[in-house]
Amino acid sequence: MSTVATASDPTRHFFQPVIVCLTVASVALTLFVIWISLHDLSLMRAGREKFVGLDNYIRFLGDPRAMAALWRTVLFTTLATVIEIALGLAVVLFLDRNFAMKRLVRTLLLVPIIMTPVVVGLTWRFLFDSATGMANYLLSLVGIAQVDWLGSPRIALFAVLIADIWQWTPFVILLVMAALESAPTDPLNAARVDGAREWQVTWYVLLPMLRRALAIVALIRAIDSIKAFDLFYIMTRGGPALSTETLNYYGYIVAFTNFDISYSLAIAIILTIFTNVALLTMYSVLFPKTGDR
Amino acid sequence: MARRALFCVGLLLLLLAVLFPLYWVVVTSFKTTRDAFAIPPVWLFSPTLDNYRTVFANRGFLSAFANSFIISILSSALAVAIGSIAAYGLAQQPAELRRSKEKFILSLRIAPALLFVIPMYYLATRIGALNKHWLLIAAYAFVNVPFAISLLITFFDDIPKELRDAARVDGAREFRVFWHVYLPAARGGIVATLILCVLFTWNEFFVALVLTGRDTQTLPVSITSFLTFQGIQWGALTAAATLIMLPMIVLGVLVQGQIVRGMTLGSVKG
Repeated sequence: MSTVATASDPTRHFFQPVIVCLTVASVALTLFVIWISLHDLSLMRAGREKFVGLDNYIRFLGDPRAMAALWRTVLFTTLATVIEIALGLAVVLFLDRNFAMKRLVRTLLLVPIIMTPVVVGLTWRFLFDSATGMANYLLSLVGIAQVDWLGSPRIALFAVLIADIWQWTPFVILLVMAALESAPTDPLNAARVDGAREWQVTWYVLLPMLRRALAIVALIRAIDSIKAFDLFYIMTRGGPALSTETLNYYGYIVAFTNFDISYSLAIAIILTIFTNVALLTMYSVLFPKTGDR
Repeated sequence: MARRALFCVGLLLLLLAVLFPLYWVVVTSFKTTRDAFAIPPVWLFSPTLDNYRTVFANRGFLSAFANSFIISILSSALAVAIGSIAAYGLAQQPAELRRSKEKFILSLRIAPALLFVIPMYYLATRIGALNKHWLLIAAYAFVNVPFAISLLITFFDDIPKELRDAARVDGAREFRVFWHVYLPAARGGIVATLILCVLFTWNEFFVALVLTGRDTQTLPVSITSFLTFQGIQWGALTAAATLIMLPMIVLGVLVQGQIVRGMTLGSVKG
């Protein structure tokens, strides 16, 4: 950082217009969204909306469908994040050695990440087909009765969860693997020389070094799971019996099936606030010491 | 020796779990309907191209392919053009100022897409833009610009400051430095950013679902038309799915080193 920018620094002209545009666009959008959420704007009768104050927000609190969707979002996000991190970390530790095809394995792990999410949803819907799907066939081989993966309200959410885990655990693996490879090996060897057992080295030396990478990837996965939409739309459409309807999905239904865009935006605002609170909490738990480590 | 065997078995299981779903979809796309639904599953079969014929006979699918192509290329090019200019400026700023701008840029990505898609949809219906390509190109450029800026900054940072200082001493104006020094030096990074933007746009579903009309449907939206009320045409569907993801897997392997870097920036940065 040898360059010192002064007020007349011409490099400012390179980014300021873009930053100003983005700022203006996001402020205008935010104000517009808040304005809409305080009215009763419906796509069915645009132009005849009236001011309703906080009615849409109060309605949310008394809306059992929204509350159930919120709870489901929390459940899905927690499970997806925890399982993906745990599974990903386990695979990273398992692969932590030199072997011939490591580069190839890395490339293959990219495939789920770059696969079109809609196609991932279709793939798993195909595998989970109750009559002809692969999942039930494999279960039948080991003598387990058929499962109605996407048709049972008690199981469908977990079927979507499995698809999400399949697509995003490789992302956790690759990111943590990169962190592991850039970590210094001296502390590990020092611990081994001091007579620590392999699990002690992993638990007391390696994991603390990976903490930052794990925390970042956990935040990323949490944000994305809260906003998950594609898999739900393709695999279950929120069904059966609303059993897989997350808050984001419910917001979509309210806007584009009921055309009640004011209520939908109120839901989106609540979801945003909720996300931010959750992230800040997670952040302060994951980075306790003033955030720099 | 036993440990080594155990490791190989574990590795094999991992790769199987990762690749089997993909393999099964691709293989099914070459099966006849009877083979596709045989229980127990058929592992060896005589392949057929019937499903691909069905897909290519589907006008909607072909125009969706063209739409996806045009929209993702143009919006990504736009985003990278705007993003590289802004990133050049930001890369020259002191760390503090940069940090605050970068934080702002990243905060734009936390909000759910509903928040900006609904107002956009509403405005588009009022001005009759719902069936226009430029609406989607603009929407995706808006989404991709912050991402392009944050990724490009990291590439511009890799360029030694001496290059810029030398050019400045020779009397080059900032824009010349940007154009003749930075752009060529960061060529690889710019291409990678462009490819990642194309990848995201091509794969994106939610924005497209809301903002596309009959003439502007992109592939992910168009493929849902195979999920009809009469039942799912799995044969055609798997063929279409293969066609959609194949170009992205090729592109993805080309920029594999940058994907995790890009996707990390895509959401938050530590």
